[in-house]
Amino acid sequence: MRSGSPARRAVAALAVLGVALIAMPVAFQMFDRAPKGAQMIASFRPDMTAVRLGGYQLELREIDAAVREGPSVATRLAGSPASGGQKRVAASLAQFAQFERQWQGIYPDMTGMMDTIRANLPNYQAVAALPSFTLFPWFFVIPGLIVLALLALGRARPPSWRTVRWVLVALGVGLVLAPAVFEMFSRAPKGGRMMTAFKPIETSARVERIQGYFGDMAVGQGAVQLQLIPALRRSGLTNSQISAGYPGLETFDAQWVHILNDMTPMIGAMSDNVANYQAVAALPPFPLFPWFFVAPGLFVAASALLAGPRRSPRARRQSSTDLPSSLTEGVT
Amino acid sequence: MSSRFMPRLGAGLVAVAVLAVAAAPASAQQLKGLFRISAGSYFRMQEPTGAKSKFFANPYSTDANKTYTLITAGGDGGLRTGLLQPAPTPAFDAKGDSLAKRIIAPTDFTGINFWLATVGTAPSITASAGHLSGQVNGLTAEWNKLSFKQGGQVTGTYNAQTHAYVLTWSSLISGGPFNGFTGVWHLKGTFAS
Repeated sequence: MRSGSPARRAVAALAVLGVALIAMPVAFQMFDRAPKGAQMIASFRPDMTAVRLGGYQLELREIDAAVREGPSVATRLAGSPASGGQKRVAASLAQFAQFERQWQGIYPDMTGMMDTIRANLPNYQAVAALPSFTLFPWFFVIPGLIVLALLALGRARPPSWRTVRWVLVALGVGLVLAPAVFEMFSRAPKGGRMMTAFKPIETSARVERIQGYFGDMAVGQGAVQLQLIPALRRSGLTNSQISAGYPGLETFDAQWVHILNDMTPMIGAMSDNVANYQAVAALPPFPLFPWFFVAPGLFVAASALLAGPRRSPRARRQSSTDLPSSLTEGVT
Repeated sequence: MSSRFMPRLGAGLVAVAVLAVAAAPASAQQLKGLFRISAGSYFRMQEPTGAKSKFFANPYSTDANKTYTLITAGGDGGLRTGLLQPAPTPAFDAKGDSLAKRIIAPTDFTGINFWLATVGTAPSITASAGHLSGQVNGLTAEWNKLSFKQGGQVTGTYNAQTHAYVLTWSSLISGGPFNGFTGVWHLKGTFAS
């Protein structure tokens, strides 16, 4: 068979593809980035449940309800102008009033963030259901190695070339089918949407802002427990009257430790995954992932089929096997 | 000339050496024992410098300035050098309060108690000419079911007569909810070997 024959070119193309499959994870730094993606998915897992996310949203509403009771507390403490109540309000509500102002920015920001995260729960679950990110580079390297190994086998043992070709065709078909088996065509685009949605969340600046909110909320809760509620007691209300009259404040105060228990790991997970998110974002776009299997798969299968003998009578007479001359003479 | 020069040179060198020895500070003394923690000891947490750099306010601090969280001695009386003071097992209760109580007394930070422990490397501190130096690399702060590395190189002052000391260090928090914050520690009291 001549050096420029389709079969020889197909074998050469298979060799190039094998090398490319091995090189691709290196080129995209997948060995470094993909495990970070796996780490990110694992870190988010405890928080990414409907119950947990619903709990965060409820906690934000609870704090908001407490803040909205601030004006009625001020009215209660102020009493009549002659009672010196304005001074009591100023003393008791100074910190809380500051928090009330801060909350006007915190609440929409945090609520918006939690709504975004909640809306992306199905997208996260789709990505989490994919094979571990850690395996991703190997999904390219292993087929690449198999292609090269089969070509080497065909060259070392020419009679095996017919079998080798069909194994290559099977490998190609396997690569084409793999995204369908792993439901990548539906899951990978969802992953892409999640990555886009999380882009403004998983940044150092955003995390620092949330950390700042945490400090503001802590001061606000401290003001409720250490200033507002004692001031209401001093104004003559019993504990049960405070609970009945100011349920928002009561709930915020009672739930604070629970809020802390929830919020600190969430902020920690956000903070710890900024670098991981950036690593995943630097990978090729998620929606392309299935095509990284399908395209090489089609290529391998088609090349393996093309790498067969010429079907001309002369070629059939000259060759007793399917092995192209490039394998018997050496691909140079 | 050279026969007179050499003895003079030798005498000069000896004189310089004597003066150098006389002027050298007293030898460094390893302070192995207990740094008792007393009033005036505190912890502060500086927010990340990327933001408007300020100190985190702890509303439950007993100090008028809520950015200072005052700390008092725990069951051991303070920080031990040459010895670890690990956290117990379990380290936290269900609420997230630290159960470790040896170095400092449980201290309320935003509604949950924190405490200190030393793990891995025992603290070592040296006194030299009234100054303290050393490390507390194994120090961790335990709070809300989380453990924060708060070790670092310490500096301070020491009065060999009264054994009064002041130790300070700062430690950048890496990872977790307070990533980028810096813990600023200030311990004072007396040292007992």
